[in-house]
Amino acid sequence: MQIYLPIAELPVNMFIIFGMGGAVGFLSGLFGVGGGFLLTPLLIFSGIPPAVAVASTTAQVVASSASAAITFWRRRMIDMKLAGVLVASGVVGSSLGVGIFSLLRRWGQLDLVIAICYVTFLGLVGGLMLTESIRAMINARRGRPAPLRKPGQHNWAHGLPFKVRFQRSKLYISVIPIIAIGVGIGALGSLLGIGGGFILVPALIYLLRVPTNIVIGTSLIQMTGTMAVATVLQSTSNHTVDGVLALILMVGGVIGAQFGTRVGAFVRGDQLRAMLALLVLAVGARFFVDLVHTPAELFSLATLTGDTR
Amino acid sequence: MRRLALLLSLAALCLGLSPARAEKLIVALSAEEVRITSNFTGTSITVFGAIERDAATVSRAEFYDVVVAIKGPPETVVTRQKARFLGIWLNSASRTFVNIPSFYALNSSRPLSEVSTPQILKRFQIGADNLVFPVSADDGAETANADDEFRKAFVRLKQQDGLFRSEAYGVTFPGTEIFQTAMRIPANVPVGRYVVTVYLFRDGALLATDQSEIRIAKMGFEQFTFDLAHNQGLLYGVLCVILAIFTGWLAGVIFRKD
Repeated sequence: MQIYLPIAELPVNMFIIFGMGGAVGFLSGLFGVGGGFLLTPLLIFSGIPPAVAVASTTAQVVASSASAAITFWRRRMIDMKLAGVLVASGVVGSSLGVGIFSLLRRWGQLDLVIAICYVTFLGLVGGLMLTESIRAMINARRGRPAPLRKPGQHNWAHGLPFKVRFQRSKLYISVIPIIAIGVGIGALGSLLGIGGGFILVPALIYLLRVPTNIVIGTSLIQMTGTMAVATVLQSTSNHTVDGVLALILMVGGVIGAQFGTRVGAFVRGDQLRAMLALLVLAVGARFFVDLVHTPAELFSLATLTGDTR
Repeated sequence: MRRLALLLSLAALCLGLSPARAEKLIVALSAEEVRITSNFTGTSITVFGAIERDAATVSRAEFYDVVVAIKGPPETVVTRQKARFLGIWLNSASRTFVNIPSFYALNSSRPLSEVSTPQILKRFQIGADNLVFPVSADDGAETANADDEFRKAFVRLKQQDGLFRSEAYGVTFPGTEIFQTAMRIPANVPVGRYVVTVYLFRDGALLATDQSEIRIAKMGFEQFTFDLAHNQGLLYGVLCVILAIFTGWLAGVIFRKD
């Protein structure tokens, strides 16, 4: 069934978009990530203009992360104070990201920067995740227990000033790295149309030493808040959020996520992480090939905003 | 004396006949408004017309040629060319075309090269290759010629999107002085006012033209959403967020495992 998208200004097959949302939702439920990094490229690949794809995925990430955040809220697995600092700095980052987005769009380098960022971050995170999960798998096979976090363990991030106590996470750390992470993820998220969960979760665990059971809920709150602000900012400055597209994606996404979570409960954590790492690396590789491979069409058209029509 | 009078009267007769403006075009469109609703997948507009001749027009042996062109609302488009830089393909050179028709469809009864001479086609801007392509002042040149690389790319990309199209033999004659053609309007057309121009040719000479207008507009929900997104961006964004949180919450409630 074809449905006309009012902002993207083209008709799409509703079931294909719904299916995409569902499939990405399934994976995001399975791996506990937002799935924006899969959805945005899929949409661009299926012919949606990149600007609309990025902005509409932002709205979809709000829905999927809000849905998951509510579950964690019920289980009281969220550090609200930490999430608050992250959201506040994420909002600053979002505004920055949306500003850069508009600027790059005018210069005609938006696609390039999106592609480079995808290659860099997906490659980096995917690589790290893969080595970590393989090491965990080897450890598990040899019967060695996974290394646990010792309470007194500190790194450079704990030596900075402006220390604040986060009771729920049992942390007493400087706010500087927290704000830096929040701003960075916010900017990246609104620029790339991703929640940034796959960067935020490792950053919170390895850099700030937030307990693993608190991390996911807290990062979900951060994603919901930051992406909500990004959606509003994208609508006010770029007018590229397609409500119809976003709604189809949301419905598909939240349904898919429910099934994903159920399946995920039967798979071991290190295996899940290895699969996610491979997926992340595959998407990154795809973008890399596009960057260096000689394109079939060297020219592209872009309508200037502020047009007569 | 008598021979001179005969010559004069013959000359007068010739002069009286020579302005070939005796044909008149009567054109009717199947629709003057195209409504884009949520199930819009493109449409087709039939242009129907008759060639009316007054009594003084001598009947001629040659056939008429009819060319129908639809021009979409003008837009400013940046055409960018990718170039390799440090092994990466990125947009480098660009050319900005101003006031270019966002849509251009042309149906003719025969290929344009057989309808008229290149000079006439160029003068009346008939055919994608004969349109004037004004270039933005920042780019130096005033207009781009038909062999300009950016211009060629622009036309090629527009053709790929179905927004520049042409159909030789697209105009048919059910009767000798009646013609019709179906102009395909694809689903990705921009909204706005479209100008339909009908050109009547015979022996390569342009005899008459007719101009009419169609309006392509979003309707109902599509129009409402588009207006809201562009005029009330903040409200629209907040509504999208509320919708997202509501959808997320609803899914949590429906699938709750208690």
